[in-house]
Amino acid sequence: MTFRLLETGVSPGAFNMGLDEAILGAVAEGRQPPTLRLYGWNPPTVTLGYFQGLDEEVDREACARMGVDVVRRITGGGAVFHDAELTYSIVLPESHPRARPGILDSYRVLCAGVVEGLARLGLSGEFAPINDVLVGGRKVSGNAQTRKRGCILQHGTILLDVDVDRMFALLKVPSEKMKGKLIEDVKQRVTSLRHQLGRSVGLPEAAAAFAAGFAAALDVVLDPAQPSPEELEEGRRIAREKYGTEAWTGRRK
Amino acid sequence: MTLRRIVKIPAGKLLKLTADVENGVLKSVAVRGDFFAHPEEGFDRAEESLVDIPVGEFRSAFSAALAREGVELFGLSADAAADVFEEMLHDLPPA
Repeated sequence: MTFRLLETGVSPGAFNMGLDEAILGAVAEGRQPPTLRLYGWNPPTVTLGYFQGLDEEVDREACARMGVDVVRRITGGGAVFHDAELTYSIVLPESHPRARPGILDSYRVLCAGVVEGLARLGLSGEFAPINDVLVGGRKVSGNAQTRKRGCILQHGTILLDVDVDRMFALLKVPSEKMKGKLIEDVKQRVTSLRHQLGRSVGLPEAAAAFAAGFAAALDVVLDPAQPSPEELEEGRRIAREKYGTEAWTGRRK
Repeated sequence: MTLRRIVKIPAGKLLKLTADVENGVLKSVAVRGDFFAHPEEGFDRAEESLVDIPVGEFRSAFSAALAREGVELFGLSADAAADVFEEMLHDLPPA
C-alpha cells in the first residue's frame, strides 16, 4: 500500500493551510492518492482553532510587531505558535483500510506515526487522548483532525524547539493576573526535540524521521513526489480567498 | 446584558461562553474554545439556532440542535455547555 510523500519546505501560514485543503480536495476527487505532507513555517505563524475567538486568543498588535502571521484553521483545537517546528498533514479517504470510523480511534492510529517518528530519534512517546503526543509526560506534539468530502485530514505539529515566553507574548490569556503562573505551568507541561535530545534537530532530519515513522505505523510505502501544479494553484487560490482574509480569520471574534 | 464565563470543562477543553440576554431571551451566543466538533459547520448551525430562544430552553435546544446536525463533540458536551450557561444566568439582576 502506497501513500504519496510531499516535502514542501517552509511557507507562509495561509499557503500552508490552503495547500492542506487543496490536497484534501485532490484526494477526495480521486485525482491523488492518500498523502503525507511534511512542512514548516516562514514567517512564524499563530494558527487558531476553528471554534476559537480571534480577539480572545491572539494579540494581533504583538504579532504584527514581531512579524508573525495569524491564520485560522479548518480544524478544531487550540491556538498554536508555529516556529521551530515540523508540521505534517495526512489525507486519506474515510473508506481507506488505514482509516478508522471513530474520531478518537483515528487520532490514535494516525498519532502512532508521530510516536514511531519519535522512536526513530531515540525518544519514547505516548499518545495522550484526545489529541496530544507526550515524551516523558510532556507535550511535544499537538494534532487536529477534520472530516470533509469523504476524507480525513489530520495535521499536527512536532516541536523542534520551544520558546514559551515568546509564545505568550503573542497569545492572550484569560487572566493577566495569572499569566506568570500559566507560563510556568506551560513550561512544565511542554517539551521539544531539542530539550529531550540535548541537541538541535533540523527540519530535514525531523522530516526523515517522521516520514519513516508514519510509514512504519501505517504499514505503507511512501512515494516521494511534488504537489501537482493544480494543487499548488488551488492552494494559492484558497490561501488568497480564504485563509488570507479577515472574513475567515475573524469569523469568530 | 452580556454574560461571560471561561471554564475548563472537567476532562475536557477550555470553554469560553459569551451570551447577550434581554428580558429572558437569548439575543446572541458565542460558544468558543479549543474543543472539537464534527462536522464543524453543523456546530455553527446549532449555535446559530439558539438565537431568540428563552434562556430556560438553552439545554434542551442546544442538545436537540446538535443531535439534529449529527454533531459529535470532543472536549465539550452539550450538557457541560448548558451547565456553564445556567451558572452564568446567576449574574443577571433579579427580575
